Amino acid sequence: MAPLYPLLFTIYFRLMFACLFEIGSSSNAVNKEAQSVERFVSVALLDLAYCFSPFIEESADNTLVLDLNGYELLFDSYRDIAAGIAARAAHAELKLNIAIANDPDTAILVARHIGGIVFVAPGEEEAQLTDLPTVVLDPALVKINSAKAIEIIETLSLWGINNCGQFAVLPEIGVIERLGQDGLRLQRLAKGTNNRALVPRKLKPKFEYSIQLEHHLKELEPLSFVLARLLNELCASLDAVALATNELYLYLKLEKEKEYTKTLNLPSPTRESRTFIKLLLLALETDPPEEPITEVHIGCNPTRPRVTQYGLFQPLAPEPDKLEMTLARIGNLVGKGNIGAAELLDTHRPDAFSVRHFAVRSRRKGSKKRLINKQPLIGFRRFRPLLQAEVQTLNGRPLRITAHDSLRKLSGRIVNLAGPWRTTGDWWSGDNWSRDEWDVSIKDSSGSETLYRIFHERSSDKWYVEGVYD
Amino acid sequence: MTDEYVELHARSAFSFLEGACVPEELVSACLRMDSSAMALLDRDGVYSAARFHMAAKKCGLRAHIGAELTVDFGTAGNPIHVSVPLLVKTRKGYQNLCRLITLIKMRVPKNTPCAATPDELAEYAEGLICLTGDRRGPLAHALHSSTWHESLHNPLIRRRDADPIVLVEWLLETFGRGNVYAELQRHLIREEEWRNQATVDIASKLKVSLLATNGACYSTRDQRQVLDVFTCLRNHVRLDEAGRLLARNSERNFKTPAVMKKLFADLPQAIANTIELSSCLTFALDDLGYEFPRYPVDNSHTMDSFLRKQTYEGARGRYDGRIGRPSYERALEQIDRELALITKLKLAGYFLIVWDIVEFCRKQGILVQGRGSAANSAVCYSLGITAVDPVGMELLFERFLSEERGEWPDIDLDLPSGDRRERVIQYVYETYGKAGAAMTANVITYRGRSAVREVGKVMDFDEPTLAKLSSLVSGWEWKDPNYKAEHQFRDAGLDLNSPRISKFLELYKLVQDLPRHLGQHSGGLVVCQGQLDSVVPLEPASMPGRVVIQWDKEDCADMGIVKVDLLGLGMMAVLEDSLELIRDAYGENVELAHIPYDDAEVYAGLQKADTIGLFQVESRAQMSCLPRMRPVKFYDLVVQVAIIRPGPIVGNMVNPYIRRRMGRETPDPLHPLLEPVLKRTLGIPLFQEQLLRIAMTCAGFTGGEAEELRRALGFKRSVQRMKEIEIKLRTGMERTGITGKTQDMIVQSISSFALYGFPESHAASFALIAYASAYLKCHYLAAFTAAILNNQPMGFYSPFTLVKDAQRHGLKVLPVDVTRSDWPCTIEKVDNALCLRLGLNYVKGLRELAGQAIVRERTAGPFLGIQNLSYRVPELRKNEVRALASVGALNHIGDASSSTGFSHRRDALWKAEHASREAGELYRELPEDGHQSPLNRMTLDERINADLRGTGITVGRHPIAHHRAELDDLNVIRAVDLARVADGSYVRVAGWVIVRQRPGTAKGFMFISMEDETGVSNAIVTPDMFDRNRITITQNPFLLIEGILQNQDGVVSIRARRIQALEFHVGTSVSHDFH
Repeated sequence: MAPLYPLLFTIYFRLMFACLFEIGSSSNAVNKEAQSVERFVSVALLDLAYCFSPFIEESADNTLVLDLNGYELLFDSYRDIAAGIAARAAHAELKLNIAIANDPDTAILVARHIGGIVFVAPGEEEAQLTDLPTVVLDPALVKINSAKAIEIIETLSLWGINNCGQFAVLPEIGVIERLGQDGLRLQRLAKGTNNRALVPRKLKPKFEYSIQLEHHLKELEPLSFVLARLLNELCASLDAVALATNELYLYLKLEKEKEYTKTLNLPSPTRESRTFIKLLLLALETDPPEEPITEVHIGCNPTRPRVTQYGLFQPLAPEPDKLEMTLARIGNLVGKGNIGAAELLDTHRPDAFSVRHFAVRSRRKGSKKRLINKQPLIGFRRFRPLLQAEVQTLNGRPLRITAHDSLRKLSGRIVNLAGPWRTTGDWWSGDNWSRDEWDVSIKDSSGSETLYRIFHERSSDKWYVEGVYD
Repeated sequence: MTDEYVELHARSAFSFLEGACVPEELVSACLRMDSSAMALLDRDGVYSAARFHMAAKKCGLRAHIGAELTVDFGTAGNPIHVSVPLLVKTRKGYQNLCRLITLIKMRVPKNTPCAATPDELAEYAEGLICLTGDRRGPLAHALHSSTWHESLHNPLIRRRDADPIVLVEWLLETFGRGNVYAELQRHLIREEEWRNQATVDIASKLKVSLLATNGACYSTRDQRQVLDVFTCLRNHVRLDEAGRLLARNSERNFKTPAVMKKLFADLPQAIANTIELSSCLTFALDDLGYEFPRYPVDNSHTMDSFLRKQTYEGARGRYDGRIGRPSYERALEQIDRELALITKLKLAGYFLIVWDIVEFCRKQGILVQGRGSAANSAVCYSLGITAVDPVGMELLFERFLSEERGEWPDIDLDLPSGDRRERVIQYVYETYGKAGAAMTANVITYRGRSAVREVGKVMDFDEPTLAKLSSLVSGWEWKDPNYKAEHQFRDAGLDLNSPRISKFLELYKLVQDLPRHLGQHSGGLVVCQGQLDSVVPLEPASMPGRVVIQWDKEDCADMGIVKVDLLGLGMMAVLEDSLELIRDAYGENVELAHIPYDDAEVYAGLQKADTIGLFQVESRAQMSCLPRMRPVKFYDLVVQVAIIRPGPIVGNMVNPYIRRRMGRETPDPLHPLLEPVLKRTLGIPLFQEQLLRIAMTCAGFTGGEAEELRRALGFKRSVQRMKEIEIKLRTGMERTGITGKTQDMIVQSISSFALYGFPESHAASFALIAYASAYLKCHYLAAFTAAILNNQPMGFYSPFTLVKDAQRHGLKVLPVDVTRSDWPCTIEKVDNALCLRLGLNYVKGLRELAGQAIVRERTAGPFLGIQNLSYRVPELRKNEVRALASVGALNHIGDASSSTGFSHRRDALWKAEHASREAGELYRELPEDGHQSPLNRMTLDERINADLRGTGITVGRHPIAHHRAELDDLNVIRAVDLARVADGSYVRVAGWVIVRQRPGTAKGFMFISMEDETGVSNAIVTPDMFDRNRITITQNPFLLIEGILQNQDGVVSIRARRIQALEFHVGTSVSHDFH
């Protein structure tokens, strides 16, 4: 009779791993670049995995590997563990392939490409993988770059080696001599003898907090206490990992299945919960939710905190947080789109500008421009809103003009004029324009002459006074 | 026309992305606006000057030439590029402008910004008028410069780029008072008016004349949109983000004198000066001063006498009284007539120079043959320029040269393509100097795909939409006339009701045929006595060592600039290589001039349409015609080459000719007078010479008038001109008594045919090459096949088809083998039989450098193994060794019987992989380990696939042969057996698709040729059938086609009723598709 000890060692002291591969789960929602860094694994699959083992590796998209070491003591056999996982998965409506093997990579390959529930007994890895085509050998598992792996697979194909079994029987030295260490690693993967250590998943810091309210909130004041609590937790999380945020989002669930969202963008990152609360409350005052609130969620995009070095001779700018709050308050009064800094647009379209969110910017070295312009300048005061006019013309040239509104009035004979200055543009869009401008000198009843700029909008055949020259 | 205002600063689309209409449109606008003259100033060139001149000449307008020259007024490291408008006043001025442009263009690579220095401008200023320019001109720059207003008061600041006064003074000094004008433009822009006021002040201070221009960049206002699109393309931005790069308004159109007068009502002198200046610009392109180079002769000769001497000497050799050839005396009569005309037209130099090029080729052993209308000349034949005897063939000399035509004769020389042609081009450069010879340009215009891509990009359409849209631009030669741009846009899923998409469509149509960039013509070479750069500016081509002129070949012809076309012809290279291989392998010295033209075996092959690989007669259409034509003599081949052309096909002349040829119809010359003219072609006019003779015989045209008729009916038909010619033709015919229906038939036959007609001389030149190729294939198959394989790509068929055809003719083809193969394919003697050995050039991925190194190293001793090969040929890269091993080229390396020998490709691959890894100095010399590899042999399918992937050829059995049993089960008939099946039978054929063709003349029908192990079968697919099976037909390498067999007069084809793909596992295609 064979001694019992080696048999026991083989059965009980080998590490075993289970691979869970979720079928049909899509990672499309995740940005492609992010995929290469962060694997896509569904929350349900993660929850399921944590029910069975605290050591979990996110090996690839939809793929988790569990360290089952010690679990054989709780279950009768590894097959029972697999059955247990399958039962849970069925309960959670997850479609899984499950493979248990002594080698984590063998478990992954089997789970991905064989399917169902498979238990690979120690020593049977090579036999289990033998029919798998070589193209399924995942280079990432053995840390080979994909271009190199493709080259190796192509060489194997030229050799007539198309499945793992054929690859496995090639002499190791011959493989090293021809395909190098990368070839050997890939061959070991094909044999099921890679035997690497698992890289367990680390828990990530949380930047989302929420609360379900027992009593629905109708007022902002009680909401401020809830927000304060959540924001304190959020800012503490940020503080713990030395991060801040410049983008905070609030999601409120309302009665009657309605939703309310608000995003705060700050000019510079911070983790001051008081600032956030004030800004959020200001935003909510301007645009309050229509229904009582049932749930509150708060989250943020973490980023590095602001680092500022003040110069000795640099004038002090207002604190960005305070400035933001002031701007928010003014925005509440004048309307959000009406506050900021005007910025000219790069176009021939007259008076084209946009309102940029106001932010204090430090002046860079060398950006000083010469403000001296020795050419004579003439000031121009633009009428806002434009003043519509009635213009008498002769051969297309203005002769006499009358225009007035509640504030301004002008009327008279045009004694001098220059023009027309024609601009047309954006012909490819529905928002095209075409107008003729004239600089006209008008003599009023008192006999004094004033220089105005008027224009004729050719599409509507209307005349306007655009402004007056100083 | 009124003389109230002349536009002296217009720009066309030949300013490449800085103008939006062609010069002809500007000329039309000029006519519409009642203007008598115009000046065209393109950016750094006179690209459109010839077209502008010709268009203006036709309408009686005066075309002033000029250019906007980029000048750098900055300092080193701080360039200030401004645009100086220059108008040509005299011929000297034109020459200076051309030289100046050449100077700046030639010192930088193609498509690199270039600029003249002020000193260079001063050096070449004579004969030119300078304008102070528009917003990009020197004066505008100086006015906008930050210091200009200071400099008015501060004499210390006196830089010409910063001080407008200094600048204008400098211009006056450089060009001379009276040759500088202060330019004013009014496009209703405020800043421009400010500049105008300043310009008027400066002009009045310095007493410079004012000149009003509109800087027209397009003829109509809507073309401003095209200019905006071009601006975006130039600046690589989208319309939405172009901002102030775009035009401020649409005022740069061509304006009427009345509008201009109104615009400049306050400055009438500026308008009046345009008339005055226009009258001073005396230069026109008629006065180009071009002179073809003189051929150097010694003192005892003039060029004429030397030409006569050379011609007579040549004629003695050509017309030696041998059977079938005209006598020397008879030829002399024609030669003297030609020489007299050549002397009268002062063309002796031209003939001698072409003769000199031909002599150079002969001395260098480069095969050369003149083609085109030059073959109508007995002088050219005697000088050895052409190989067709025009006296014996009674060809019409007037087609080549006539006194009335007043243009240079056209001699095209066919040369072997590749390096040998390049050697001849470089010889011409060396002989006439870099500035004395250049290639003609080829203007690339916006067409279907490029227009879609570039306009779409500017309008910010996404890449998949543009890809889909451009994929719908027909790639086949056949263009459905009903498939318009609107259909194309709709099929791409674009909604034409959307304003943005309809704008895209509008712009797409507007940019069609506008010039995009300048390319290089494939062979047109212009030479000039003296300096070519004083006739037309030269610029570097993208190809190193090449220089290109700014005009295309049509412009050169219009301007009377003679060009010699040095055309690369793949078949010439094949013939030349074949002759060399025959000398080496067969030990025979064959000369093309002496091959017999009555070889029965050659004609037997032609009659059977056994013409794969032959010149001109290998196409599907030719093959279907040959068994009916049954050529028995050389002239039949001349007809054969000419008849399968768009002209005869469109003119419905092919079938009547074939019926007459087969005796099913009586030849009927349209009129008894035409009997001698049309006798040789059985009453059907096939050649341009016949058209000329018809006009001469029936309507009493002179040779020159007849040639004029041919040109009027040519590609650029003008309705007006055609009407005039038709009236003349009918009047002439009335005089000779040809009236009524006969007259109508003759007119109809002339006008329908002339568009695509083929010159008989040209057909004869091609027929010579076609016959030579047939002769060599028939008698020297190994040499011909090796040569044609060495000159791929060319012709209709892939190397695979050529090899299989040669194998069916009994040639043994040996695979690539590093122990035997040279770089090109060669001939080997095996068991006293000549076999073809595939060259290393057929191993895909193997560089010539490495291949040649293998051959070189092999001479030092045989390779002892793959490791030894890798060590001795360090040029070999890892993937190259692998490529060699996978096609079996390393199977025979070393001694197969020894422990280092290999028996199969996988062994070689196993070893090759080891050998190509760097072993280091210590192990390099170690013998290879003798163990066999653990790998299995390749299966048959794997070997075929490896051959096709690695070389495109397999020398073993045809891939279809391996599936014959399956095909037999499907009742598929072999290609060779089809000829025995009765006409009208329902048959199934299958094979590897070797050609897919949808000719422009076939009304949408598609022709598919498929190959099996026995030969080629042909199928005809109707347009409907093609539309239903488009993907199956175009995407699958193997097809099974069933349908009705047409077996008539030895021509066999299947009218497809059902088409399906065959799933044979060969991972590559060998088809040549004609788009």
